[in-house]
Amino acid sequence: MSAAHGSRRPLQRTSRRTLNFGFDRFSGLYLWALFILVFGIWVPNAFLTTDTLHSVASSQAISAMVALAVLAPLAAGVYDLSVGATANLTAIVVAVLQAHHHSIGTAIAVAIATGVAVGVINGFLVVKLQISSFIATLGMATVLAAVQSIVSGQQQPAPPTASSWLNLTQSTVGGFQVVVVYLVVLAVIFWWVLAHTPAGRYIDAVGANAEAARLSGVSVGKWRWLSLVCSGAISGLAGVLYCSLNGPSLTFGTALLLPAYAAVFLGSTQLKPGRFNVWGTLIAVYVLATGVQGLQFVTGVQWLNDMFNGVALLAAVAFAGWRQRKSLSRRFRRSTGRSDEPDATPTEPDQSPSGAATSQVASR
Amino acid sequence: MPDQTQERPRERAAVPPALAGRSLSKGFAGVLALDAVDLTIEAGEVHALLGENGSGKSTLIKLLSGYHRAEGSTEVHVGGASMTLGSPRSSHALGCRFVHQDLGLVDAATIADNLCLGAGFPLRWGTIRARELRRRARGDLARVGVELDPARLVGELTPAMKTGIAVARALASHGGDPVKLLVLDEPTATLPDDEVNDLLGIVERVAASGVGVLYVTHRIDEVFRIADNVTVLRDGRKVTTRPTASLDRRELINLLVGSEFDETQAASEALAPSAADALLHVETLDAGPVRAASFEVAAGEVVGIAGITGSGRETILGALFGANPREAGTVLVGEQPVPAARPAAAMEVGVAYLPPDRPKLGALMELSARENLSLADLRPFWRRMRLQRRAEASETRAWFDRLSIRPLDGSERRLATFSGGNQQKLLFAKWLRRRPRVFLLDEPTQGVDIAAKRELHRQLLLAAADGAAVVVSSSDIDELAVLCHRVLVLRDGRIVANLTGDRVSVDRIARECLNASGKVIAA
Repeated sequence: MSAAHGSRRPLQRTSRRTLNFGFDRFSGLYLWALFILVFGIWVPNAFLTTDTLHSVASSQAISAMVALAVLAPLAAGVYDLSVGATANLTAIVVAVLQAHHHSIGTAIAVAIATGVAVGVINGFLVVKLQISSFIATLGMATVLAAVQSIVSGQQQPAPPTASSWLNLTQSTVGGFQVVVVYLVVLAVIFWWVLAHTPAGRYIDAVGANAEAARLSGVSVGKWRWLSLVCSGAISGLAGVLYCSLNGPSLTFGTALLLPAYAAVFLGSTQLKPGRFNVWGTLIAVYVLATGVQGLQFVTGVQWLNDMFNGVALLAAVAFAGWRQRKSLSRRFRRSTGRSDEPDATPTEPDQSPSGAATSQVASR
Repeated sequence: MPDQTQERPRERAAVPPALAGRSLSKGFAGVLALDAVDLTIEAGEVHALLGENGSGKSTLIKLLSGYHRAEGSTEVHVGGASMTLGSPRSSHALGCRFVHQDLGLVDAATIADNLCLGAGFPLRWGTIRARELRRRARGDLARVGVELDPARLVGELTPAMKTGIAVARALASHGGDPVKLLVLDEPTATLPDDEVNDLLGIVERVAASGVGVLYVTHRIDEVFRIADNVTVLRDGRKVTTRPTASLDRRELINLLVGSEFDETQAASEALAPSAADALLHVETLDAGPVRAASFEVAAGEVVGIAGITGSGRETILGALFGANPREAGTVLVGEQPVPAARPAAAMEVGVAYLPPDRPKLGALMELSARENLSLADLRPFWRRMRLQRRAEASETRAWFDRLSIRPLDGSERRLATFSGGNQQKLLFAKWLRRRPRVFLLDEPTQGVDIAAKRELHRQLLLAAADGAAVVVSSSDIDELAVLCHRVLVLRDGRIVANLTGDRVSVDRIARECLNASGKVIAA
């Protein structure tokens, strides 16, 4: 175990190198395997089919994209609660434009530009006007709902029917709908930016402690702003793809928001515990989807989805917290110093010093 | 007051000591953090417990409070009665009370409510008896000599008065077990200097009522002002227990830190900066309380900034770097201006700034040591479209070696898992990496153990020897006196003294910080 490394003080210890099956970091993967095993035995004919694989993969692709959209601002320490509304608006915009005989390219470009514009405005509200991101993006979501009503005239636009529009998401690649490929490409780009570029490092630093990051020369406002623009753009894209996949709907956006946050928070208990990360988020999305799918083959009740997702989120986050407290108290017993270590759950947005000012606004 | 303190022990010779600890020991993972320490405190005595971070002070307190279970041979008697070790209840029942640095007061509640939060409210039919509550509160306050309206909110009080309320609450027995021993854990650590006297008054009054006081601190002045006896801990062992009157300041420091300060002083004197190489130029700087500050720092020079809290000492370096706003004035490094409020731009011209308050301003606790180290300059690792993590890790290890950061293989661990001294060393390395031309340090050794302090001082002097202009702002005058070639003293926002040569002494700095007889030096 740990030796008191060359000093008589026990404060320092070497990293423990014990055999570790990673039941904490990889619990999602183990759970996934368990689901596949259990349902594979229980309902093998329905569950263990490529159809199930393909349908789970594509039905969750949009949710996963919205979760990625949420990831960037959360990593930078701000909430974006307008992602669902943004996706919904762009889905309507892209459908309405096509209904007015604009080309598919124009329609998509305008729709995604709308998402970017939402992000820019969110950034302005949060960075320049110093409104708490929780309030600013919540307000934005409400405004977007109104804009959506104006654009749609409160009527569900006719679903565009051009085959190139439908093929945008519904053509298949190796049996998977192509939207799954888009998700993978997006995830790889996200992973590269967040884990392998200075930009990702700066975003993590801003999220971890904005003031300390600023005093290390990191431009806090710039990265927060960019992360919000990024989430706007991605949710815009998700909206467009949703429309191509399922047709325009006036209400799907709201239903995307909370699962996205659930996936990101769940994902932060995986792979790199305590950090928001791309693959953890995707694992969370798909483990939950697999579980729900399996249960749906067993029983047909309607409330299953919500119940399963909610319970899984609470259980996973509680478990992660419990493990951290356990390791903390173990460390505490070893050390003589006071335990002034902050808890290691991801830093809540707006708890950083510079966010303190804005959260005061919120509390008023 | 001094004559009182000398009479106290004689007067109460017949009373059993408030605390008699024999062979207090406590080990962690096979290493003794507290090694057979004897400690006796008479009733009515103020006994200072002095030690640097990591010397075993907090372990000792936790033994007394029953938080830690002691090792075999340990014995504790409080007021003559034997304490069950490792039992907080026994500690409380025998009359031990503790006031921690975090006072645990509710700012939004009244003084009276705060006083009753622990002991319980006087009730009738489940309803609080307001008049009885106030009467008790007044009694509790009178015991510590604080005259305040119990209906006032705690949030409105000065920090010293808040500490007073916490002491009053600790002593409030309301008919329960009488209090024998009061332990104050660094009560003045966060107190503005001008309020320290208020608190010392409270402590004296408590002792005069026959309670033994264990006064834990790392401020040497207070020991001489209040303590009858002082016990010094170093590396878990008792160095000595002596009557305060038999010691002088220098002696006490040597007991406390060993030869560290002498070594640092020798190393500092070995550098011979020449004022001709002025590198940092500050002209008529206004920032917060700071007014018209002008000074220059030469390459290779270590300049100290002293001053009481509120004098501008805490503001000036941050204003130079851009951490906090600057209202007027120019700052130049060589010929290049350092723009206001733009840390990134200041770093471009070669300024480095180690902020005070490590958890809030300096450290990214949830990121790894490697990520903390490299954050201030990622360019060398950005190759072939990605951050080269292996290069980053090997550079991190090199810095771990160079500053003896422990554990040596900890570059991937979260910064929060390191001890305070190792965290600070890592943040030092983060800036040394950039080879700063001007190195500004705010409270560089606050909350670190002696070994880390020695290493930090050594690195700081090495940076100066390497040609950096170093400015250290510190509330620790002893540190400034050994470390600096020159000390600027701030009072009410103005630089009132520029001490050089022999005048860089603890006495002189302390005098300049406090009295009003110094004259403003011309720019």
